[in-house]
Amino acid sequence: MSFEAPPSRTALGDAFTQAGMLLNFSVRTFSTLGTVLARRRLAWREVLEQAWFLASVTTVPSLLVTIPLGVVVALNVGSMAGQLGAEGYGGAVVAFVIVAQASPLICALMISGVGGSAMCADLGARKIREEVDAMEVMGIPAVERFVVPRVLAAILVTALLACLVMAVGITASFAFQVTVLGDSPGSFLASLTQFSRLEDFVVAELKAVSFGIVAALVACFKGLTAKGGPSGVGDAVNEAVVLAFILVFVANTVLTELYSAIVPARGAY
Amino acid sequence: MAAGILGGFPARAAGPVVGAFAALGLHSTFYARVLLHVPTALRRYWRHVIRHVGEISFGSASLLAGGGTIGVVFAMSAVASTQIGLEGYRGLDLIGLSPMTGLMSALINTREIAPVVASIALAAKVGTGFTAQLGAMRISDEIDALETMAVPSLPFLVSTRMAAAFLSVIPLYLVGLFASYAATNLAVVNVKGQSSGTYDYYFHLVLTPTDVLYSLLKAVIFAMIITLVHCGYGYYAGGGPEGVGKAAGRALRTSIVAVTVLDVVLTLAFWGPRPTLPGLGT
Repeated sequence: MSFEAPPSRTALGDAFTQAGMLLNFSVRTFSTLGTVLARRRLAWREVLEQAWFLASVTTVPSLLVTIPLGVVVALNVGSMAGQLGAEGYGGAVVAFVIVAQASPLICALMISGVGGSAMCADLGARKIREEVDAMEVMGIPAVERFVVPRVLAAILVTALLACLVMAVGITASFAFQVTVLGDSPGSFLASLTQFSRLEDFVVAELKAVSFGIVAALVACFKGLTAKGGPSGVGDAVNEAVVLAFILVFVANTVLTELYSAIVPARGAY
Repeated sequence: MAAGILGGFPARAAGPVVGAFAALGLHSTFYARVLLHVPTALRRYWRHVIRHVGEISFGSASLLAGGGTIGVVFAMSAVASTQIGLEGYRGLDLIGLSPMTGLMSALINTREIAPVVASIALAAKVGTGFTAQLGAMRISDEIDALETMAVPSLPFLVSTRMAAAFLSVIPLYLVGLFASYAATNLAVVNVKGQSSGTYDYYFHLVLTPTDVLYSLLKAVIFAMIITLVHCGYGYYAGGGPEGVGKAAGRALRTSIVAVTVLDVVLTLAFWGPRPTLPGLGT
């Protein structure tokens, strides 16, 4: 059960081969996840270790990104809403932008950029030292031992991280609008509570979780298909990050549109 | 200088706080030296600069890694700005102002989304690529070999990349900005079905050359920071193949945080704490 890419002649052929292999890899990971859960063989220790590692490397950078983002949202919304005569609209936009869009995306960027690159480097180094092959020979499947715990850890961490990012982002935006721009806190909170819905939060969590899955799958796939020595590991990390970022951005648009097609926007100003 | 380069981070054993300060100092002096050596690099190694420009713009990796940086910047900007169009329309529709979505495109795309998204794409594609290349050279002792052959490694490897990034970022960013405008337009006019006249009216009302210039300035500054950070982490990588990959992750973290923080600072510097919309009165 190895993931060797067949030689391809053209760049387009290579792209399709890789896409197919990634799909195959994802399907295999989820079927293994089912088997592992059914037979109660999940490597809990590995899940916890990976989750702790992901949380420890992603939390602080996520918050450092979220606080400026909250300020930027407040700045632009404040100007626009003020000139259009809708000052109290700030809270509603915060609900839209930070909860629904920014928090899943920030989590995804951090999980795939910081956590995913470390995962990919770790697995890639093991792959080129042939440790992965050695484990397969000893009857320990790489997908079960490496990939499934990492995907589960990514799910756990993104779901929790998204909540933290939302809380910090809304607080930063609120604080900036009230203290620096001098807007009324009451109208901010009123429009925030009027326009935000439980569905938005649930969908944001679902989005964050699916981005976490994408990031972990791409990182593990690229890591386990690394080849060509130390520079191969570096290239694998590079490709994993680029691929994960693009997939996450596309998935974000698709999921958002699906959601707004199913659940229409509510609230009147 | 040689002692610092030889062992990667010089003060790793000296406790976390001291180590952090040592790394900060190491990287800061690295940035200053890189910038100082850019004229030398342009004079002596201009062929390498041109080669790097080609590599940065069109890439040498497989198509799946994006078909070159142009493809990655284009794709990410287009997708992010489609989102701006769709969500902006939805948001403005709630307060009955959906005809003004063109204004959002001209304002938010130019001032925030296009520079930040293009920078994230650059960091992912070009930046991690630099870290991977330089890190692989470092751990296979190629950088030391260069020094032994009396080739100054820092101007030769890093300053050339810096100059190449500066030359490539302007056309790359303009491609990204174009993709942003086109994608928002497409989303609002073709998907949401707004009349293109209304869209164009508000779009052109708010879009000013100054804003585009500031936006380009933002993108160039971000690209400089990204190149410096990623080259620094690659140049001082250590710890085998895994260390190179980890360095790429750390570099990405640092550059994304730096870009978002600088974004706020530059937004405040360019447009003030109470930015006003051009063309609408007060």
